[in-house]
Amino acid sequence: MGKGLGGEKAGWNGTQIHTRKLPVISQRLMADNPGAPSDGGPGPALLELQGITLAGRGQQRLEAIKLSIAPGERVALIGASGAGKSSLLAVANGLIKPNGGTVLWQGAPPAKSRRQRRRQQARIGTLWQDLRLIEELTVQQNLNGARLAQWGWPKALLNLLLPLETGRCAAALEKLDLDQALLDRPVASLSGGQRQRVAIARLLRQEPLLVLADEPLASLDPRLAEELLALLLDFTRAPRALVMSLHRPDLLGGFDRVVGLRAGRVMFDQPVDQLAKDQLTALYASSL
Amino acid sequence: MPALVLIPVLLVLPQLIHGGGWELVGQFAMAAVQPSLDPVVIQSVISGLGTTVSMALLGWAGSMVLGVGLGIASSRTVWRAVLGHGAPAELIRKLLAIPRSIHELLWGLLLLQLVGLEPVVAVVAIAIPFGALVARVVSDLIDALPTGNLNALRAAGAPAGPALVTALGPPLLPQLLSYSSYRLECALRSATLLGVFGLGGLGTELRLTLQSLNFKELWSGLWVLLAAMVLLETLLGWLRHRWSMPNRFTKKAMVSGRQGQELVALGAALIPLLVWIAQGQQIDPGALLHWQPLPPIGPPHWAELAGLNWPSLVGNTIVLTGLAAALAVGGAPLLLLLVAAWPLGKLLVRGIWLLARLWPPPLTALLLLFVLKPGVPTAALALGFHNLGILGRLLLECAETADRAPEQALISGGTGPSIALLYGRFSSLARPYLAYGAYRADVILRESVVVGLVGATGLGSQLLEALSSFAWDQLLALVAVYAALTLLGEDLSDRARHQLLETAHGDDQSQEVGGAWR
Repeated sequence: MGKGLGGEKAGWNGTQIHTRKLPVISQRLMADNPGAPSDGGPGPALLELQGITLAGRGQQRLEAIKLSIAPGERVALIGASGAGKSSLLAVANGLIKPNGGTVLWQGAPPAKSRRQRRRQQARIGTLWQDLRLIEELTVQQNLNGARLAQWGWPKALLNLLLPLETGRCAAALEKLDLDQALLDRPVASLSGGQRQRVAIARLLRQEPLLVLADEPLASLDPRLAEELLALLLDFTRAPRALVMSLHRPDLLGGFDRVVGLRAGRVMFDQPVDQLAKDQLTALYASSL
Repeated sequence: MPALVLIPVLLVLPQLIHGGGWELVGQFAMAAVQPSLDPVVIQSVISGLGTTVSMALLGWAGSMVLGVGLGIASSRTVWRAVLGHGAPAELIRKLLAIPRSIHELLWGLLLLQLVGLEPVVAVVAIAIPFGALVARVVSDLIDALPTGNLNALRAAGAPAGPALVTALGPPLLPQLLSYSSYRLECALRSATLLGVFGLGGLGTELRLTLQSLNFKELWSGLWVLLAAMVLLETLLGWLRHRWSMPNRFTKKAMVSGRQGQELVALGAALIPLLVWIAQGQQIDPGALLHWQPLPPIGPPHWAELAGLNWPSLVGNTIVLTGLAAALAVGGAPLLLLLVAAWPLGKLLVRGIWLLARLWPPPLTALLLLFVLKPGVPTAALALGFHNLGILGRLLLECAETADRAPEQALISGGTGPSIALLYGRFSSLARPYLAYGAYRADVILRESVVVGLVGATGLGSQLLEALSSFAWDQLLALVAVYAALTLLGEDLSDRARHQLLETAHGDDQSQEVGGAWR
């Protein structure tokens, strides 16, 4: 895996390559960056994990994880499969409750009241490896699914029957260079590339501050993977932030920081350009 | 293999034949081609059919409302999303097993004793056990859906309710509608059956004409019922096809797209129709509250209760169920194989199955009594014949949609059509078919009460006797034993089914569901 990295440190600085490939989309995404709370100052971290421990089936899945994500940071999470990357992301977005430690969202622990906790969770968008689009629903209905945190029952039910907020959904598709005619199509009828983009469009609809992405590039062909990565990196400029798990160290180029996980522990957490080859070798080394 | 049961049954048959009624059977058969066309008869048949169809529709609608509500309430996924753990679902499931295990006929007769002959009795009698059954299926369907989408919406901050509806509603809907359409067919059969036991409608007319040996009028009723059943099955089959719904074996939904509007419109149109029918039939739910004065309930006679021959009652019921199930499960493919070579024979088998489905088992039993002595095999024949019609139809439905390539390969290789059908098409259907057969056996156990009428010894006949003699202590004990037996059978058939289908779910997502912040 780590092979061929040695002499190519310069090659990791691949941001320009990606943005050059998709200039139009990038500009649109940048224009979309929220006027959301951002004074540019050193505000609270978007996400802070303090001593997170998670017991799995028979073994520790996460142990004493300490991680802090500031606005504007694009962080890559690498490690062999089973290292705990997915668990870490699931803890970060609130899907799994850790056995020990504290999660802070924008400096605050998960709220006691359900309503407030939902508001917190709405600020965290997740791009799932399996996309988790609802196959039977149309693209528009799926995009609106991201607004359920804000909508009450009546609108949630109406969404299943009528096309709601067509303008905003169309705008989200347009930012991703997708044809608006797709709005009416059931997700099941889309191609793989289209689905990936619809999943990102759903993230846009959610307007999250922190984007968590669980190996979104796995099972994509190389061209599509690079495109998608460029999109996500652009979307998550300050005040947003990105944490993406990866298993391909050759795609680290556009990230600011890299966190190496091994057997549920953080092995290193440092700027991407300081990553050395032997660190990677150690990270992926077989434990036998 | 299950068809082997035919051998012992055929061996016992000669001993049972008493030979008295061949003439009657001949008359019955002759009357089929010359039904009574007397306007008075036709009018009474039509109005009887109207009552039966109304009872079926209202009972079905009630069962669907009850079933969907209770099904959601007994789904583990739903409770986990709302509360964080699924324990309440288990409790509600266990409670629902009780109304489910009691056949609609028993509900009907019980209510009949309590509130008298009111139109609402049949409706409620259908709605209660059907509702509990639908609840079980609905909760199973919900819990079998993958929870990834639900978790995704929840992680994005969606409240539990809207997230459940958005993530699970769309995949659930086609399965639910498909199942509900089959339930409507069942409701029509049940409404007819309840009629046979005096709850009004076409069933009552059929029984009266049969008992007075008025075969021509009997056949007028039968032909009308047949027409109604064919119409209903065709209509529902067309709707299922239109909405590309799953059939019973695959249970896998296809895309429904944005047909939600169409479905909602249909549902909305159904409500005034149901209200109109309810008014037309003078259904008064209030009647349920006006109990008739009951004969004084005496002290329980424990000695008498213990004196019943329990082992024989239970044993006979089990033998009856086993025989009928084997007849039905084994008979359907056997018949199809026998006639595979002749298109005309296929049509004939289809017709016989149609008759078998709609002809209530107690009437078959009465008809058999013309030539057979009462007993377990007679009752088993009646029950097996009825279920043969149901199973056969499902088998045919699936055989027709199954892949024909292997069969064609065999035929082009010179194999005969029967063997080609057996190897080419049935072999791939065998597992789902047997799995469904296991489920059917459990239905047959519940249904064995309805042939108790013909004096077959078993829990069913004892129950009917207790019911008519107001022996409440006996009735209670019998219902309890029956329910226990049904639940046991259900458990067994569930296990058999799981083994046959090997429904292994990936447990990747189980961790996610369990631990979310609550």
